[in-house]
Amino acid sequence: MDQLSQISTPVLAALIVLCAPLISFGLSAIAGKRLRSGIPATVAIAISLLAAIFIFATVWNGQQVHQQTSWFRIGEHSFKAGILLNNLSALLLLLVCAIALPVHVYSMVYMKGDYGIHRYWLYLSLFCFAMLGLVMADSLLLMYIGWELVGFASYLLIGFWFTRPAAIKANKKAFLINRIGDLGFLIGIAIIYTQFQTLDLVALFGDHGMVREAFNDGVEWRYAQHAMPAFWLTIAGAAFFLGAMAKSAQFPFHIWLPDAMEGPTSVSSLIHAATMVAAGVFMLVRISPLFDAQILLLIGAIGAFTALMAATIALTQQDIKKILAFSTISQLGFMMVAIGIGQYGVAIFHLVTHAFFKCLLFLSAGAVIHEMQHVKETLKLELDPQDIRNMGGLRRYMPHTFRLTLVAALALAGLPLTAGYLSKDAILIFAFEWAEWQSAWWKFIPVSLLVTSALTAFYIARLVFKVFYGKPRISAIGQGTNYLHEAPRGMLLPMLFLGLCSLFPLFSYNPLLFEDTWIIKGFELPETLERVNIYHTVVPAAVNGLAIVMIFIAWRWYAQGKYPQGSLRGRLYEFSAAQWYLNVMYEKGIVKPLLKVSKMLYAFDRTIVDGLVDTGAGTVRWFANTAQWLDRALVDGLVNGVGKAAVFAGGVLRGSRKGKIQYYLFSMFLVLLIVLFVGLKIFSP
Amino acid sequence: MISLTHFLLVSALLFSTGLYAVLAKKNAILVLVGIELMINAAVLNLVAFGRYDGGLYGGQTFALFAIVLAAAAVAVALAIILNVYKHYKSINPDDINDLKD
Repeated sequence: MDQLSQISTPVLAALIVLCAPLISFGLSAIAGKRLRSGIPATVAIAISLLAAIFIFATVWNGQQVHQQTSWFRIGEHSFKAGILLNNLSALLLLLVCAIALPVHVYSMVYMKGDYGIHRYWLYLSLFCFAMLGLVMADSLLLMYIGWELVGFASYLLIGFWFTRPAAIKANKKAFLINRIGDLGFLIGIAIIYTQFQTLDLVALFGDHGMVREAFNDGVEWRYAQHAMPAFWLTIAGAAFFLGAMAKSAQFPFHIWLPDAMEGPTSVSSLIHAATMVAAGVFMLVRISPLFDAQILLLIGAIGAFTALMAATIALTQQDIKKILAFSTISQLGFMMVAIGIGQYGVAIFHLVTHAFFKCLLFLSAGAVIHEMQHVKETLKLELDPQDIRNMGGLRRYMPHTFRLTLVAALALAGLPLTAGYLSKDAILIFAFEWAEWQSAWWKFIPVSLLVTSALTAFYIARLVFKVFYGKPRISAIGQGTNYLHEAPRGMLLPMLFLGLCSLFPLFSYNPLLFEDTWIIKGFELPETLERVNIYHTVVPAAVNGLAIVMIFIAWRWYAQGKYPQGSLRGRLYEFSAAQWYLNVMYEKGIVKPLLKVSKMLYAFDRTIVDGLVDTGAGTVRWFANTAQWLDRALVDGLVNGVGKAAVFAGGVLRGSRKGKIQYYLFSMFLVLLIVLFVGLKIFSP
Repeated sequence: MISLTHFLLVSALLFSTGLYAVLAKKNAILVLVGIELMINAAVLNLVAFGRYDGGLYGGQTFALFAIVLAAAAVAVALAIILNVYKHYKSINPDDINDLKD
């Protein structure tokens, strides 16, 4: 405890960052329904943001700050808890707070009048607290605690409207799939602890950390006196990656993310931008020295496949939030590829830029859904407010929302002048350079990324054109009366902030060249790839050329209404619209067999176990009947006399107890207390 | 550093919370929750005192047994509550007053 007096300023600021949402959470928990305003939560996250800015200014490119205090001991092993601030965590702290604050402000308007809004602020504060704790944790154990809390808070938020069966199904799915990932994380921690006897991130993964110093000759993985077969290193990497796959929605664990759209839109934006899915990527970067070549290849391959798969699914979805959800999965695939090729700084850079424009896209979608809901209620229509087939021509009614969406969409498509251009090009160029050094087969990673980025441009253009261009598809909207309005200022201001952050000046003074970006410069490059100049001109040109062609096609089809009817509704369309039938496959391949096994076990229990017990019971019953006869005839006669006396006494003493069992318990407790008290008086020396 | 007293304090708090729930809650499931809290208070004490057990880990082993038994007890108790609900259409302990006669 005496260490507390020696806390340095950045650590104190980190504690403020962490505690502000926690205090807001406690406040909401105590106040319950009485606290319906979001002001405490918003103020708390604003305080966190200020402290995070201070930390960032002190720590970025400076000395790493690490302070810890002893936490607990188990036998010989002592565990420590502390805070680790370096470039990575300072940046992420700033990002989480900078995304969470606009979302809080937006939610104040968006969630106004919701019946359960007091719970909303409660969960939101918990969510931010968990993510901030995960980011600044200095040991794997603390990180795991944050990791679990993030999962739990997202479970609560996805099921926020718990009266909808779909929401309950969605949050159960998210939770169960995240549990699979948690298991991976836990196994990874266990392997690390067995090998190194510590969970301290600095000691393990620092510059001269144990993982780097450990010796691995392909047969044995040795550190100091402790050795285990080398394949455990691969297993540990795979286990941690399993955790990240579930959290960051990588194939085949991505299925929870689209369903998580059942939560409020503002929550989706937070989950997708800064708090939930970012955790997986962050964790992989934090423990990056651990990965050996096989695991990196696996990460890259899964990332590339996920990116491509999610992009093809996003092409045909009709729900505005589903499109964005699959787009998130696809972009997370990009980040995974960046990790897989060893460019951790680039992965974090894309995480940051993606956070801003994806959060903005979701908030815009929320504004649109808000207005569609409004139309639905005033006109008493039967329509799904999230279906883009019902929208169209909204540009005239919501010009500001339209402009901001356009900025975010361009950033997602990766067109120049936006932040998305810088980070996406960085990943693509590094991927091509990396592939130069691999066998020809691995060329598929950069090529599939290129295809994915073309598809990205198409599906986001389709969304923008279908929602904002053309004519309104509900005839009543078009007829003079102005049912649709611009989003209120409380929603537009946070969106404007995010829109500004989605442009290039925040990240680099040069809008065309990612190498000048300060975020990438802030991370050491583990192995510098040889710069292949040709890629630095050809790749951006290819990306942008493809994107522009795709946007043009989307414009012809959706804005001008020249959709090639009939010719596109083939097998592939169905395959994409059904999300590759993965949900069906999981249902048939995993859920159904599990249920079948449970039913068989139930039947076994019923017939064999119960049968045995029943036979036993029959025998005992026969004995009991005999005993009963003896009892009746001999013992009862004697006891009944005593019993009658007891009944009389009971009747007198019963008083007001009236069979209420808790009164009995309470009296017993009182008597026990009296006996204890008297006993202590008498027997104490 | 967290000392034994801290553990005992937390345990006493847990126990009192549980006792309160058992005595005052009007929902049998919450009463059950209270019982669980009391068990956990006891388990915490076992683990805390187990530190003075040298290298034998007696307290921790015992705690593990207690946790397993508690889990079994919950299963049984929930089954009982289900049956009580089927019979009385209520799980308020006050409504189940057949003990009076």
